[in-house]
Amino acid sequence: MTAPSVRPGGGGPTARRWTGVAVAGGGALLVLLSPLVGSVAIPAGEVAAILLHGLTGGALAADPCPSTVSARLCGAYTEIVWDSRVPEILLAVIAGAALGLSGGTLQGIFRNPLADPYLLGLSAGGTLGASLLFSLGIGAAEANLALPLFAFAGAALTGLLLLAASRLLGGSVETLLLTGVALASLLSAMLSVLLLYNPQGGLQVDFWLLGGLGDASWTVDGIAFGGVLAAASLLLLYGRELNLLQLGTEVAQSLGVATGSVRHRTLLLASLATAMAVAFTGIIGFVGLVSPHIVRRLVGSDYRKVLPASALVGGLFLLAANDLAVGLFPAIVLPVGIFTSFAGAPFFLYLLYRRRRDAAGDAA
Amino acid sequence: MIRPAGPAVTLRGVTVRFGRREALRELSLEISAGEFVALTGPNGSGKTTLLRTILGFLEPASGSVALWGAPARGLTPRQRARRVAWVPQQEVPRDNLPVRDYVLFGRYAHLAPFAGESATDRARARAALDAVGLADRGDSGVLELSGGERQRVLLARALAQESPLLLLDEPTAHLDIGHELDLLERVRRLVTERGGAVLAAMHDLNLAARYADRIVVLSRGRLVEDGPAERVLSEALLREVWGVAAELRRDPRSGHPYLVPRLPGDLPRPRATGSRGPVHVVGGGGAAAPVLRRLVDHGYRVTAGALHLLDSDAQAADDLGIVYAAEVPFAPLGDRVRQETRRLLAGARAVVVSPAVFGPSNVANLEELPGIAARIPLFLLGGVPGPDRDFTGGRARALVEQLGREGAIAVADPAALLAELDARLAAPAGAEARPAPRAAAAPDP
Repeated sequence: MTAPSVRPGGGGPTARRWTGVAVAGGGALLVLLSPLVGSVAIPAGEVAAILLHGLTGGALAADPCPSTVSARLCGAYTEIVWDSRVPEILLAVIAGAALGLSGGTLQGIFRNPLADPYLLGLSAGGTLGASLLFSLGIGAAEANLALPLFAFAGAALTGLLLLAASRLLGGSVETLLLTGVALASLLSAMLSVLLLYNPQGGLQVDFWLLGGLGDASWTVDGIAFGGVLAAASLLLLYGRELNLLQLGTEVAQSLGVATGSVRHRTLLLASLATAMAVAFTGIIGFVGLVSPHIVRRLVGSDYRKVLPASALVGGLFLLAANDLAVGLFPAIVLPVGIFTSFAGAPFFLYLLYRRRRDAAGDAA
Repeated sequence: MIRPAGPAVTLRGVTVRFGRREALRELSLEISAGEFVALTGPNGSGKTTLLRTILGFLEPASGSVALWGAPARGLTPRQRARRVAWVPQQEVPRDNLPVRDYVLFGRYAHLAPFAGESATDRARARAALDAVGLADRGDSGVLELSGGERQRVLLARALAQESPLLLLDEPTAHLDIGHELDLLERVRRLVTERGGAVLAAMHDLNLAARYADRIVVLSRGRLVEDGPAERVLSEALLREVWGVAAELRRDPRSGHPYLVPRLPGDLPRPRATGSRGPVHVVGGGGAAAPVLRRLVDHGYRVTAGALHLLDSDAQAADDLGIVYAAEVPFAPLGDRVRQETRRLLAGARAVVVSPAVFGPSNVANLEELPGIAARIPLFLLGGVPGPDRDFTGGRARALVEQLGREGAIAVADPAALLAELDARLAAPAGAEARPAPRAAAAPDP
């Protein structure tokens, strides 16, 4: 075992604080600038006024479009910014937070730094559950509440299956990943069948399989936010147990942790978070893998800090990816999942490579 | 430290199975408050299984476990953790947590659900760290510690847990002698002298004799001895349970018994003077000893190996003055030893495979044998090794099966072997061999 020369989290406390400030500042800037990004160019002043008007309920900026001559144009701008862009930004942040939270939790449950709701099939399971609801013939409008429930059932079943498999097959990092990948592709195949031969029609395969934020609305955001907040608050209660699990199942058990029930409960909560994302966005990959890794560099390995921070970074990551998707290709609606995969897949390969290298170093 | 009523541990008729194999058989044991009990036995005798059963990681197939008077089955993990703490053999931390936080993990069982650590918890963790002599290392990362310090951190964590029973799984396996003594000394002072109980799996019998009030000896999942060192440790026990020849002496000052293994160099009387053969015997773990003895008594020159030094077959070979290829204990056979074995095989006129247990350290002996049956008679005693003799994942079994296909001769027992041997080796040479009666059981495969 080669002793790492860096302290937990890397860098001294000062360096860490500055990185934290940079992330927070960059995040705030990102959120503020995102409403400017879109296929229609709207002057920044208009956007700011519309936001101010909306946020204060008209108390400030009583006229949302001071510089616009036509009331029709002002109405269109308001609709675009307030009813489309802002809900989409919020959904990006909420769904990204859900995936980051879920990824951080899964990495803790399975003691596996490569766990992620997408790679382990939870996202596919959740999406399959959600699309089952559609194939039952329930329209999108009434489905806002039922969707996350079905997605939750799908994700939770997948998660429990995975937990049972990991117990049966033994705990190697690679075994779990391969099981998850196999499960994910099986579920994706079932999902594709369902989507392509859907009797109701009208379902977009690429939306569900590649993930998009096009369904965002204030209602959807409200539901998703409620679910993610509930999952996050409950998960935080298990932060200490997740820390203890990192010592190994038996050590944790000998210290008094009910390892079985902790794993089950946190897995259900991670499924809930995943469901809140995939029910409204489809499968978005790698957010849950990348965020906890960035976070651990910043806050160390304490899950009571890792989980909320992963949610924050996950939200910003997905928002940035969405801004790129919309900003670079304004004419076509590119699913945001493509962009997270462009960033996440190489990162995943890098992590795999680093594990191999470390293992080789240990053996030498 | 909470001290519930009753003895620290009571095991009654505990049997633990892994599949069909019985890792513990009908084991009964009681440990009282204030006792330091050493758990010994050869590798695979069930020491760790016993500890894991007491900790609740394994569920006995039959029998009962009670901790401080309460049936272990009914305890929640938290309740159990307040009764028994564990220092694992080794724990490699994944994260470079501060030592203080690592020790604070020991307080988990005392926290209210979802509550944080109180000032008391922090004070207890600090005291535990102080007790193992690491008070000044609280801020260090656990990965920066030496192996001995890390083992002491694990002990501190268990002490912070304040459970009146402490289980140690070969706690000193990775320590040098100084740290070994230091750790056991601390355990004595901090647990047993305060009314707690300790059960420690230990390999070193001399350390066990010195620190333990009682020594419990396991062999193949059974409890074979239980009592004070003076009564339990004997040359006969060492020979029977460990297959090691040793001399029992007594420390003139403390009166503690201690053992000195007899090394091959110390041994007298070589007498492998037979005129027939040579016959080469593959064995290990005592399986070859009866064959070696009978062959020598029968006037054969015998070679053996490769055998591990201190192995009971090696002891027998030494006693009989048999030439054998020798490897250091427990190591896989090295190139030099394999070459030596090949040389002995090349000189042999017959080869005997005894019903030995084959593991990674001696399966190489079988790998030398394919092809030999075409040249000289090759005898298989005890047939194809089943799962009880094959710990190589089927490699040994496959090799023996191959030997069978190549014309090896299966013999049921040493008498049948001698009969076959006499008949086959006599045939070409003729004159010297006694006409042996044909054995009852000498089936060809």
